[in-house]
Amino acid sequence: MSEPRLRVSRGLAAMRLAARGGARYAVNAPRLFAAAGEHRQRLRDDLALRTAQDVADTLGTMKGVLMKIGQLASYVDEGLAPPARRMLATLQDSVPPMSPELAAGVIRAELGGDPDQVFETWDPLPIAAASIGQVHRAITRDGLAVAVKVQYPGIAETIAADLGNVALIRSLLKVAVPAQDVNGLIGELRDRITEELDYVREAESQRLFAGYFDGHPFITVPKIVDELSTARVITSELATGVRYAEMLGWSQEEKDLTAETIYRFTFRSLYELLAFNGDPHPGNYLFEPGGRVTFLDFGLVKHFTDAELGPLIDMVQTLCIDQDEDGFRRAMEDAGFLQRGAPLATPDIVEHMSVFYDPVRSAGVQTMTGEQASAIARRYVDFKSPLAAYARIPRAYVIIQRINLGLFAILGEMHATADWRSISEEIWPFVLASPSTPMGEAEAGWRAAATR
Amino acid sequence: MRRGLVTAGVSISLFQRAAAAFAASVPSDPADDGLFGPRSVTWRVAADLSAPVAGLRSLLLQALHPLAMAGVDQHSDWRADPGARFASTAAYVVTTTYGDTATARAAAARVRRIHGTVRGTDTVTSQPYDANDPALLLWVHAGLVDSGLAACRLYGARLSAAEEDRYVAEMTAVAELIGVPAGMAPASVAELDAYFTGVRPSLASSASTADTVTYLLEMPDVEPELAEVWQVLAAASAASLPDWARELHGFSGLVPPQREPVRQVLGVLDAVYLGEPGVLEARQRLTLRMRASEAQSSEAQSSEAQSSEAQ
Repeated sequence: MSEPRLRVSRGLAAMRLAARGGARYAVNAPRLFAAAGEHRQRLRDDLALRTAQDVADTLGTMKGVLMKIGQLASYVDEGLAPPARRMLATLQDSVPPMSPELAAGVIRAELGGDPDQVFETWDPLPIAAASIGQVHRAITRDGLAVAVKVQYPGIAETIAADLGNVALIRSLLKVAVPAQDVNGLIGELRDRITEELDYVREAESQRLFAGYFDGHPFITVPKIVDELSTARVITSELATGVRYAEMLGWSQEEKDLTAETIYRFTFRSLYELLAFNGDPHPGNYLFEPGGRVTFLDFGLVKHFTDAELGPLIDMVQTLCIDQDEDGFRRAMEDAGFLQRGAPLATPDIVEHMSVFYDPVRSAGVQTMTGEQASAIARRYVDFKSPLAAYARIPRAYVIIQRINLGLFAILGEMHATADWRSISEEIWPFVLASPSTPMGEAEAGWRAAATR
Repeated sequence: MRRGLVTAGVSISLFQRAAAAFAASVPSDPADDGLFGPRSVTWRVAADLSAPVAGLRSLLLQALHPLAMAGVDQHSDWRADPGARFASTAAYVVTTTYGDTATARAAAARVRRIHGTVRGTDTVTSQPYDANDPALLLWVHAGLVDSGLAACRLYGARLSAAEEDRYVAEMTAVAELIGVPAGMAPASVAELDAYFTGVRPSLASSASTADTVTYLLEMPDVEPELAEVWQVLAAASAASLPDWARELHGFSGLVPPQREPVRQVLGVLDAVYLGEPGVLEARQRLTLRMRASEAQSSEAQSSEAQSSEAQ
């Protein structure tokens, strides 16, 4: 007989299918927490996760990690993203919520008492799915209305163990994002997921953002309630506002104000806090008229060093202010985006990259469109371009690609209109221009108060 | 080369057809709990993450009986359309496991009718065979049961000794359904082991066994994205065979892959499987039935407790 060939491969290549599968899973699942009919509500309750074993069965053995790989894939590679993006948007929602008893058990373990003892009032029905957990409403004994994010029991250990299978993750990534430097991605993926499992870390990020934006006229970041927050539970002020889908129905004027707030939040965080909330996901925003936006979920925050951010700032400055093409190319090389000495003409590089800077290359009112966002995404993954062979995304900049692929998609969907260049000049550390809009004027008061 | 016999179109659908068979065979509105019911060990074993290992191991084990192999070889056109063959086997197992009694009976009757035409003489041993021969039916049954246990032990839910015995005993129902006379199928782990000890002298690996096994292990007909998954599955399944079976197959020196890495690969496979149309809904139907029966049993217990208190 012929000796059967047995290769104990530790790798595998199911990501493309997994992404497809994930999307399907999500679409078919009863949408949790949505305004579902009574039947679906019952179904959801009947399928609730009731034990740590249920959690392990649902999110263990790579499933939680797969969701995260899908999320990362959507950051770096819009080419594969439609299924991966749907997975990102809805796979989390397809996981049943914890039963009230299971959630109460986490509160007991983390805060030392039953929810009814620890809080004045506790709503046993979750109001939202969160990353690897769910959110409950409660009122503290001090009378503060809060949102309490409760992590699924055992999930941190399960995902940490799965992250140890580097060979398997490498294989999944190779299929998910074939054109990327997988070794760089693995490190970033493991670090970011590990951080996300630690709510202490998330609370720290949220405190940083909340502190910086404290008193801001349009931006709200809910404050953390320290004594009710642990590695598995985060308690923060309860935010109000409408969801993204409802906001999209507002007047264009209102949407433009909202978009301006999101834009200012993103770039003020980046340039002044050296931090980027890596998940500009519509589900993480709550909206109120007048451009007021509450930003939720700081589980995936990338913090930069000056040395990491410097080359990105140089790229903007050389291209948009100095119009120095050679300087732009040098900055790209310094950042590690482009191989030094690549046999490419500098004007071609500038031409290829400029689409990413179109909204801010010149002053004047511009409307973001879905087509523009798609063009950016298409250019981003244009592996056939002569540039592709010499370009890569250094590890430090993996998460921030979400600006190109996520933020612009949201603004495009809103048809957001503004003079983005002038707003940017207010924020760019090498310009720091005077306010260019009423919102900028209002911000100036906040900035003056903050520095006083 | 078997590869050449398989048309390209088949390759896309092997995995998807098995998933479709699962989704279609889990009943939406069963008349009764069928042969096993939501509180059985059988339901848990069938739904376990390790089930793909159990399935592949069954086929590797079952291929060691020359007469069973001859029946498949001479009468089945599975090589022309392996996807259809896998799907119909999967549908049979799922239907008899989760279907109501009438549907399970009908499925078994259909298989017995097909078996009625599967008879002949094995060219290797020159023995006559008949697919409805209880000894052959028992062989196939025992391979499935033993593989369910082995896959769970190595890569799945760890059952207690009592639960393992219960599983073997429960599964006699499906053996009887297909035509194994009552009392003949092993009803405990010890009886199952004794059965294999007894049957071992009649087992062998023929050229067609080797051919089939090579096909199963190399599996040219899965999606390219799943090829590496299949290799892990193949290694786990082959390594989980009993020593004597591995010797007959010539798989000496196999080191069984470790539990966790295999479970992680099975988890990815499971995520992909869940993405196939109807699979998630079918699983939810089963979860709801299992939870409903738990609720009933705890209600029954508490009302029993109340009535005993009243007395």
